[in-house]
Amino acid sequence: MASNVLRDIDFARYQRWLNRAIGADAAFMIFGPDGETFWGEGRSDTPATGRAIAAASVGAPGLRRLDIDGGRTVLHRSLGIANDISLGWAALALAPDQETTTARLDEIADAMDDLVAGIVDEYRQRAELELMTEELGSRYEELHLIYAIDQHVQNHAGDYESAFRSLLQSTAEHLNVDVVAFVRPEKGVSLHATSLSKEIHNLDLVLVEMRGDLFRFVQSLRETIVLNADDDPRRTYIFTDMPYKVIACPVRSDQRVDSLVVLLNHKHKPDFTNSDRKLAEVMANQLSSLSNTYLLLDSMGEFNHQMATALIEAVEAKDPYTRGHSERVNLLSMEIGRTMGLVPAELDDLHWGSLLHDVGKIGIPDAVLCKPSKLTKDEYAFIMVHPERSYEILRHIRQLKNAIPGARHHQEKFDGTGYPHGLKGERIPLHARIMAVADTYDSITSSRAYRAGRSHEAAMAEIERVTGTQLDPAIVAIFRDIVAPEPEWLQRFKIRREKA
Amino acid sequence: MKRILIVDDEPHMARVLRLYLERAGYAVTTSTNGREALAAIHSAAPDAMVTDIQMPLMTGKELCLTLAAEMPDRRFPIFVMTSMTDREHREWAGTVDNLDFLEKPLSMRMLAQKLEKCLDRDANEGSAGNG
Repeated sequence: MASNVLRDIDFARYQRWLNRAIGADAAFMIFGPDGETFWGEGRSDTPATGRAIAAASVGAPGLRRLDIDGGRTVLHRSLGIANDISLGWAALALAPDQETTTARLDEIADAMDDLVAGIVDEYRQRAELELMTEELGSRYEELHLIYAIDQHVQNHAGDYESAFRSLLQSTAEHLNVDVVAFVRPEKGVSLHATSLSKEIHNLDLVLVEMRGDLFRFVQSLRETIVLNADDDPRRTYIFTDMPYKVIACPVRSDQRVDSLVVLLNHKHKPDFTNSDRKLAEVMANQLSSLSNTYLLLDSMGEFNHQMATALIEAVEAKDPYTRGHSERVNLLSMEIGRTMGLVPAELDDLHWGSLLHDVGKIGIPDAVLCKPSKLTKDEYAFIMVHPERSYEILRHIRQLKNAIPGARHHQEKFDGTGYPHGLKGERIPLHARIMAVADTYDSITSSRAYRAGRSHEAAMAEIERVTGTQLDPAIVAIFRDIVAPEPEWLQRFKIRREKA
Repeated sequence: MKRILIVDDEPHMARVLRLYLERAGYAVTTSTNGREALAAIHSAAPDAMVTDIQMPLMTGKELCLTLAAEMPDRRFPIFVMTSMTDREHREWAGTVDNLDFLEKPLSMRMLAQKLEKCLDRDANEGSAGNG
């Protein structure tokens, strides 16, 4: 950097100042630490003077005098910016007829002192500015990246993979690197994006290497590694025979390195810089918290599912004959919902509602629920409250708010004669009308305490018979279309068939 | 030396851009609003322009649209700095040729890359035309 900064300094100004100070045309020169000329090129003997000064002096303080071959005398002074650190020399060649009285030399020495102080000051300011520019530039770079990450997360809310992918893609383009990858071997996560400057033939192998040796290497080192040089000794352990430049940043969670952010470039690209490394680390930090959030969401989803399964188990344990009923009603309801083109959020509600529609049966005495013979009126009253019980149980779970109406009203009939509220037609929530069809079909085809399951054909006939009275004709029509092509679940659920 | 015109009313942004681009080897001039920039362009067209949108007197959008109307054969590229969240407010740019967006907070690296790319291409086209 020093020589770049020196090159930017306007030495002509100093030349003019010196001319005024000593009242003569000064043969003024500026040399770098190795004697290279920065000012004073006009004179033919300047390069030789630079070399002579560089050879003779080791940054000694104060004005020194050097007699050079050929009878020239040069006064020179180190451009010291700190102890032992010098930018080079300022020099002044004395003309052969120059007056060399002590007083005159003192005058020149004073002028040189001031001149050097001025140059060093300017150098410091410029160097400071350079550093600040550099620093500001990299801060902007980091901000840009962080904002970009934020944008990607917002644009792909809830979709872990596509948020990561689009993020990696824009990072590859922003940093102009061939491959950006995020790997989390223990969770089987391996995502990458490319912005190729040249074809990569063995990308799959490279990714395997990232998840394997490279991951273990960085995990044990616990710090970012940057591989630029071909003969970097660390290449013995990682990326053996792979001609790429690599930055690999550990991503930590709870003090453990569990993933990597890897930047990869072909060899013909420039070396990775400190600023690349810094940005990769910023990204690694952001991705770390992001990936933790997503994993947390995943495990919460899993927890929900397990809780639901536990609830269903509790219901089905009461009546072994209803085993699998909730899941089958769930599957059939979802088939109908998807065919109707419900949006994902609605499908989600339908999923939970249909899965949990019978939890209210927990409140029905076993003697009633499992009674093989016909129920008395009083006993039937127990059965009739179960949808309302389902509602009372599920309403405690806020996340199920929109799933509950389906479960609560799945026993309503299209003509308004059902329970618990006697809702009619379109007043019955859509999900409940869907579940009613699925529930009716499964109740007929599955075995009960008091009878064996009836055939698919019998169920469809019964459904046709109650269309418009119990069931919504529009949904029955959809269900008819779903079963027409003989879906695989007919066999999976072991539903009896009538011989044609 | 290629000349870049920076148009931004925020002095710190203009300064950082200027320092960064000067270091990258460009000659840089700055204007603090669209009207000033327009005057600067009329006296000497730059090789590229980088402009903010929100500015007093004349916004970046007005500046671009004015340039498109007044200088139909303008050749220098324009880079408009805009916030990432403003993606939807960009349709107006469809009518302006040779215009690209840069998302704020600005990536100097990306700007330098883009400048290099389009000024290089420009230079190549120029020499091909002469040769």
